[in-house]
Amino acid sequence: MVKAVDGVSFEVAEGETLGIVGESGSGKSVTALSLLRLVPDPGRVVDGRVMFRAADVLKMDHEELREFRGSDVAMIFQDPMSSMNPVLRVGFQIEEAMDAHQRFSHKQARERIVPMLETVRIPAAPQRAKDYPHQFSGGMRQRAMIAMGLSNEPSLLIADEPTTALDVTVQASIIELLRDLNRERGMAIILITHNLAVVASLCTRVIVMYAGRIVESGTTRQIFNSPQHPYTWSLLRSLPRVDEQQHDRLLNIRGLPPDMTNLPTGCKFHPRCRFRVERCFREEPPLEQVDPGQLARCWVLMRNALKDEVHD
Amino acid sequence: MASVPGVALPEGYIEDAYDMPEQVTLWQDAWRRVRRNKLALVGTSIIAILVLMAVVSVFWTPYPVWKQAVGPTYAGISAQHWLGLDAAGRDIFSRIMGGALISLQVGVGTMLIVSAIGIVMGLLAGFYRGAIDAAISLAINIWYGIPDLLVVILLVLLFGRSLANIAFAIAITRWMDMARLVRGQTFALREREFVEAARSTGTRNLVIIFRHIFPNALGPILVQATYAVPQAILFEAFLSYLGLGVPPPTPSWGAMAADGFHALELAPHIVLAPAIALSLTLMAFNFVGDGLRDALDPRMRR
Amino acid sequence: MTRGTLIYIIQRLLLITFTAVAISSIVFIGEHALLPGDAFVSERPHNPRELALLLHHFNLDLPLPQQYQLWVTGVLHGDLGESLVNRGVQITPLLVRELGTSLELGAAALIFTVGVGLTLGLFAALKQNTWIDYVASSTAVVGYSMPSFVIATLLVLVTGKLFYIWTNGAFYYEIGWGKPTQILVPAIALGFPYASIVARLTRASMLEVIRQDYVRTAWAKGLRPRIVIIRHALRNALIPVITILGPLATGILTGVVVIENIFGIPGLGKEFIDSILNRDYNIVIGVFTFYAALVGLVNLGVDLLYPVLDPRIRY
Repeated sequence: MVKAVDGVSFEVAEGETLGIVGESGSGKSVTALSLLRLVPDPGRVVDGRVMFRAADVLKMDHEELREFRGSDVAMIFQDPMSSMNPVLRVGFQIEEAMDAHQRFSHKQARERIVPMLETVRIPAAPQRAKDYPHQFSGGMRQRAMIAMGLSNEPSLLIADEPTTALDVTVQASIIELLRDLNRERGMAIILITHNLAVVASLCTRVIVMYAGRIVESGTTRQIFNSPQHPYTWSLLRSLPRVDEQQHDRLLNIRGLPPDMTNLPTGCKFHPRCRFRVERCFREEPPLEQVDPGQLARCWVLMRNALKDEVHD
Repeated sequence: MASVPGVALPEGYIEDAYDMPEQVTLWQDAWRRVRRNKLALVGTSIIAILVLMAVVSVFWTPYPVWKQAVGPTYAGISAQHWLGLDAAGRDIFSRIMGGALISLQVGVGTMLIVSAIGIVMGLLAGFYRGAIDAAISLAINIWYGIPDLLVVILLVLLFGRSLANIAFAIAITRWMDMARLVRGQTFALREREFVEAARSTGTRNLVIIFRHIFPNALGPILVQATYAVPQAILFEAFLSYLGLGVPPPTPSWGAMAADGFHALELAPHIVLAPAIALSLTLMAFNFVGDGLRDALDPRMRR
Repeated sequence: MTRGTLIYIIQRLLLITFTAVAISSIVFIGEHALLPGDAFVSERPHNPRELALLLHHFNLDLPLPQQYQLWVTGVLHGDLGESLVNRGVQITPLLVRELGTSLELGAAALIFTVGVGLTLGLFAALKQNTWIDYVASSTAVVGYSMPSFVIATLLVLVTGKLFYIWTNGAFYYEIGWGKPTQILVPAIALGFPYASIVARLTRASMLEVIRQDYVRTAWAKGLRPRIVIIRHALRNALIPVITILGPLATGILTGVVVIENIFGIPGLGKEFIDSILNRDYNIVIGVFTFYAALVGLVNLGVDLLYPVLDPRIRY
């Protein structure tokens, strides 16, 4: 049995934007899918709770769960082309999202299709509603997916790598859209990505995952300005930064992502870590507070590691 | 190797590199997967038995295949006659063996002809495109509109009821499936870099087709060929059931089933023996075809 | 119906007409060139004058190109000539009647194929790896490996002998063609192998579609399970099934020939075999014409179904 996610715990406050960052295989997508109980077979959630307001999602029966999905919490996925049914019209797919729940009557649902498309800034919305997904461009498809997610006015939107499949310029516009939606509607967003730049422009808090565990969490400012976990630090050092005064050489992270069926003992990151000590080989560190609001899972911590060395 | 000023790399850093996964070729991988597929193994065993029976029947059968009245007509299963006797008193087991030979000959023969025609047409259409492809594709579309059973019956009647004619007639009406498959494969392979590379060194087209494209299409071709055998055997069975296949007394399973139909209630073994033989044979080839198809499917690589 | 679709239909219809005429022409020429005058050999030898009259009546004493011209003109007017063996019987109305019979049988088989096949495949996929799945899949695997005459034989055995024994003579299934229930056994025998193919394909297709992202999206939207399965999964899973519907329908049309012979059903298939054995070549040519047109039209029908299901396809 492989534990894709082990001991992950976090909260999202109303109207907050949280970023979950990690490599492929870090468990971030599985975490997000678990929130809606969408983990595909043969995967299962074996333990824990998913609390939405006062209710535990994992304990809901099928009808409650169905009602919960898409109306209280909505989710959008990475590849909008494969995430939309190719044989149904886009407008219809938005309408059926509303029809499935109680919030709007059938008539209201039909009337909301075009306004929803306009909210996500799709031009010529009335005509577009009658089109099929393959007639849309990549960015527009993702907007349509967002419209589907928004249609029942959820309190929380989970976005699983919404920009990964898109061009860079289109990415920016999608992130901007999400930011505006968060501000205007007070809708909380969980953004899952491997792209730190995207996190910086949208999220107020960040969680960094590695090998199915949270290795660091904190506010965006804390994570970007003083990352304490070597993995986070390495991630940041591997990005070119326009805003920095001093331009060091870019670093890569040695090694390959961990084999989840054969995890190393001790700290799961130690085989690739530049700052490891002997203890890292034997014991896995717990997730502990390093500053108010910032947690890290490391024996060494970057503030200690860099202090020991002398710069010239 | 980039290094951070002032930060040393720990000891043994490089040695923690990960192992490369084991490399296998497509054929090695396919072979392993086929071996694990139980149905395919069962199918192969049945085919082996079939081939054995067919080959042996050329030299020997328990009783002569054509000899009538070796015992009481309609006799049931017994120690001397493992599958009983038919309406003319012929030993059914011997005739099943003979029928195996016929079926295999038609099956394999048709498959070879279909492959020859289909592969050539497919390669030409897929590689040269343009007018050649348009012509071949038109031919394929037209041929699909031909009622195959009727044409085969007619051809066989016009040109004689021999095994070779039957094989040819069936092949002439069914080459399109192979051709379409090979055409599709050629289309795709044509755009691959190794073809571009071969072309840039001045390799001639024919060489490219046969040395580069054809071997890479071999997998799906083999699968299609494997499916072609039971299709042909089925066809021949239909023909001989209607009395239009190889002329008696050559035993063909279809003809044997037709002969026994009138005695279905009194002596079901006369129909059941060839019926079961046919079904098992067809199933066996279908299993092997399925096994090959799954084994060669690149998506399912572990 | 867009202009493009209309053009496509017209193109296909032309192709069908061309193919039908071409095939029949080839058969015509083949028969008349290779087996002239054979039709009357089976009858008692007439005196030369009667024979000459017969030949003249059927235009068989004319040179081949002229015969062909006369025949083609006739065909394009819908007149396929007269039966050589049963003189006085006009072929076209005869074949039209028999066409109706064959179509009934073929349609019944098709309904069985699609209905049973889809249902079986769907349930096997939804209940994967349960006993329902194993039973359905095994039946399918066996089913498509059995020639339809084998299935017909087994069905006849079961419905004839066994039903009789089990119900102590109260229930007896007669083979023939008169009562509406008599279409059942031939249709099932004809359709069973194809239903198996459809079941296998539907199952495989559903299993793949269910793992697709858009089905996950449908669950994430909180849609009702029935809607997810039918509107999202099944609808897309049917697309590969439609692609084989053409060859499948053609296969049913050819299987009709054998089944009609077994059950003595007076359709085109039986007519074909009878005419071949009677050497009634005019009818043989007529059957070919009908059959070729039928196959073409059925394929066209299936191809037109495609855009209905998958709006990405447009002609």
